[in-house]
Amino acid sequence: MAEGTLSWERVQVEREVETVSRPSLSYWQDAWIRLKANRRALISLYLVIALVAFTLLGPFVWTVDPAAQDLDQISVPPGADRTATVVGDYSPWRGVTATATADDGGELAAPVSVSVVDQPTTNSVRLRWDPVPGAGGYRVYRNRYDPEPDGALGLPIAEILNPVNVSFEDRLDLKAETYFYSVVALDGRGRESPNYTTATAGVTRVITAAEAVEKGLIDNESDVQLGDTVEMAFHPLGTDYLGRDMLARLMHGARVSLFIGIVAPFFFVIIGILYGSAAGFMGGRADQVLMRFADFVVALPFLLFMILLRILFNVESGDSGIGPMLVAMVLLSWPAAARLVRGQILQIREEGYIGASRLLGAKTNYLILRHMIPNTMGVILVTLTFAVPSAIFTEAFLSFIGMGVAPPTPSWGSMCNEGLKTMLTTPHELIAPAAFISITVLAFNLLGDGLRDALDARMRATE
Amino acid sequence: MSDIAEAPSPNVPDGAAGTGLDVRSLGQILYLGGIGVVALGVLLWLLAQWNEGGAGEAVDAATGTITLSLGGEPPQLDSTRGTDAVSFNILGHTMEGLLRYDAENRLVGGVAERWEIGDTTATFHLRREARWSNGEPITAHDFVFSWRKVLDPVNASEYAFILYVLKNAEAINNGEMPVESLEVFAVDDRTLQVHLEQPVPYFDKLVAFATYNPISEAFYESRQGRYAADAEDLLYNGPFTIASWVHGASIRLEKNPLYWDADRIRLNAIDYAYFTTDPNAIINLFKDGKTALAGLVAENLDDALQRRWKIKRFSDGAVFFMEFNHRPERLTRNYHLRKAIQAVNDSPELVYKVIKLPGNLPAASLFPVWLKGVDGYFRQEYPLADPAPDDELGRRHLATAMEELGLSEPPTLVMLIGDSPTAKKQAEYYQNLYKQKLGIDIKIDAQIFKQRLAKMTAGDFDIVAAGWGPDYDDPMTFADLFASWNENNRGRFDDPELDDAVDVARSSSDPKTRMDAMARVQQILFDEAAIVVSYERGSVYVSHPRLKGIVRRAVGTDPDYTGAWIE
Repeated sequence: MAEGTLSWERVQVEREVETVSRPSLSYWQDAWIRLKANRRALISLYLVIALVAFTLLGPFVWTVDPAAQDLDQISVPPGADRTATVVGDYSPWRGVTATATADDGGELAAPVSVSVVDQPTTNSVRLRWDPVPGAGGYRVYRNRYDPEPDGALGLPIAEILNPVNVSFEDRLDLKAETYFYSVVALDGRGRESPNYTTATAGVTRVITAAEAVEKGLIDNESDVQLGDTVEMAFHPLGTDYLGRDMLARLMHGARVSLFIGIVAPFFFVIIGILYGSAAGFMGGRADQVLMRFADFVVALPFLLFMILLRILFNVESGDSGIGPMLVAMVLLSWPAAARLVRGQILQIREEGYIGASRLLGAKTNYLILRHMIPNTMGVILVTLTFAVPSAIFTEAFLSFIGMGVAPPTPSWGSMCNEGLKTMLTTPHELIAPAAFISITVLAFNLLGDGLRDALDARMRATE
Repeated sequence: MSDIAEAPSPNVPDGAAGTGLDVRSLGQILYLGGIGVVALGVLLWLLAQWNEGGAGEAVDAATGTITLSLGGEPPQLDSTRGTDAVSFNILGHTMEGLLRYDAENRLVGGVAERWEIGDTTATFHLRREARWSNGEPITAHDFVFSWRKVLDPVNASEYAFILYVLKNAEAINNGEMPVESLEVFAVDDRTLQVHLEQPVPYFDKLVAFATYNPISEAFYESRQGRYAADAEDLLYNGPFTIASWVHGASIRLEKNPLYWDADRIRLNAIDYAYFTTDPNAIINLFKDGKTALAGLVAENLDDALQRRWKIKRFSDGAVFFMEFNHRPERLTRNYHLRKAIQAVNDSPELVYKVIKLPGNLPAASLFPVWLKGVDGYFRQEYPLADPAPDDELGRRHLATAMEELGLSEPPTLVMLIGDSPTAKKQAEYYQNLYKQKLGIDIKIDAQIFKQRLAKMTAGDFDIVAAGWGPDYDDPMTFADLFASWNENNRGRFDDPELDDAVDVARSSSDPKTRMDAMARVQQILFDEAAIVVSYERGSVYVSHPRLKGIVRRAVGTDPDYTGAWIE
């Protein structure tokens, strides 16, 4: 081939071949996309994040001491009026005395008049009345409702055993409202006369300047004058039965509840995974023995175990029982996770692609990391998210029966327990912690639901 | 609580059916659940309405029967061994001692018709018509038998100490003398002669206490150790007999036709149909007309006012206090530490803002207001100066205490309390008070009654929230509580001056000398801060409007229905 050089040139193809491709998605990216498509799960995810923020960041924003008792605002619902008038310091009242007259034997009359002395305030309401001839003593009643027409005098607030005393100072749990005070004479044997005289007292909420300084409402006593109004401490979610701020207690209570709710499941799910995958992978007799032991653990009574652990940990009544609670939950709750993981592993072990991998020379490690774990991950995460609410419930229950946190540390469960007693009169004390438990449990459950759908590898394959 | 492993587990291996379906079904479940809750609520409301319509069963005028609830099952009804309020209440309705309290709380003759109490002797003349429920007459031997039984160390009666005023009683109870050496004699069937260790001015009040009740020896022996374990294992001599006793469920009392004063008794039967201490449960029973009497708690007061119930009050006579542990190894043995706690104590605040229940009274003295003194009320004759809380003084005392004890910061103390909600609430109040005012940390040790008592006896506490109810109507029932020899002095407070004063009050027959001595006890307890008094307990209750004549009292059977009638 001597003639000249032939130069070949490749024909340039101008048109590109149409490619149908997308960036390859990792398992997690795909799961995230599918989770995002699930609105319920997404909202739950935000709720969970919000709860964590509430617990961890809340106390830095709302710096009220959860143990501080505001005894002037006990069991106050959210949004209650909290203006108070500044008054002078409280000084005990010496009362009014009159000469007692002898018993004439007839039915005792009602006092001619009952009058309120001084301004009735939430510090004290002072009553005096005219002596009843022949009285051996008096009984004072207080009602929030008019005693007429049926003579329902209300609470017997005081009994005066000495007929010389014709006055009474009421300081019992006074609220800023109108009270009806009725005075009844008693005879020498303490029997009550059917006749009574009623006086009304419109009580105003007051605070002394010294108290206002002590509670941090004002800086100096000189800042206010008598008759000024000050705002009492603000409690956005109201206060509990000892005047403690509900919001602060919910934030601090969440620490306990969420700590137990997240740490305990985390540990017992890990134990469950290790145990379950070992059993599933080994199979045969070893599997039988391991799973029978798991059954045995399931059969252990939780409460009994918890009490034994308290003794073992030397927890005195008055100490927090959170440590033993955590240990008891971890020790007793793993079999559920272990069973699920084992079932999954057993199933996957027999799948065709595992056999194919093996034929291609895959090692055990590769099998576990590439095939087993991703395929069980859905189960594991879902078990975890479902275990969280159940752990929160358990903590709530144990604190409810008094085996959890020690006072004054709050937890949602113990707050529910306390709120339950006043459910009918001040429902906010129960509703707030109960709502938090419910929302948390629901959020974790729905998130778990969404995760299950998002992480299921086989569902991915069907699309 | 069942095993938490049984939580809702995700059904994963089969869960591939599709997202949509699952979410939809969840929505459906929520929706159906919502409907279910509403339906249940409506149903419960209807039931409640229906029940209110049926009110009035608690008092049945036709049969003269009233239905009540009881604070629990009596462990047994042997008067020599009873210690609890429930047992004493049933015994108060079914048994009668030598003397009893009438509706106006005066001592009147029970089995005894007449009695003479001298310096160290007492003679009781028994009624001819007093009979046991099997028809046998009650004799002086029945008293001798029962009192020996109480003191017999074999019987281990916890209330044996209340008989220690009898000659040789203490020695017998300690096993140093045979029971036969008790100097109580049946002169004849109807005359009981008693010799006392020393003059006991309040002996008549003592014999009204249930531990002094008679027991028929022949009947006791015939039951072969089962005495008082069941309704038929007991002989009655009081206004009522136990017609049926279903353990754990109910007790029914019926009028005793053989009771010597049967004409006085106007009720035919008392049905204790419920055993519960839960105040809300009892209030609900009352609303439903299932019980004729119910105590109120602070949470129910508004409801009671709204329903326009006639609310009554009474003092149950008990005083509650913080008792310090004075054992040598305890920090609370330090005088200044106790004084510091005493100085910040604010009884009015506790009563008016935390307990919030009328009937309770702020207090500084161990002696409650209703106790009688020389002529009038003890506390009016011997008032105790009740200083206002002084935080500054408290901190000064604490600083001294810390110096003496070599502490660099305020101590942590263990507060032993009962397990009731009110006890916990008060403990939390005190926990905060001591923390805020003094910086003292309090660990709250809540225990059930028995366990608390065991820990109190063992001295396993720094401070114990304790209470004391009167056994008999004399200031002595409180005064000797902190004498060094008293078993109930759980903190082991030991003060020779107080012991002296108690001795004087015990043996003197002059009321003025006695009450002066009691006042000294009152002052020593305050000055030494042996205890810090929290409050005097009282209570408010409602009863069926047609049921009249219920007696509430501090000493004796309470509530007492023996004189009650249906209008």
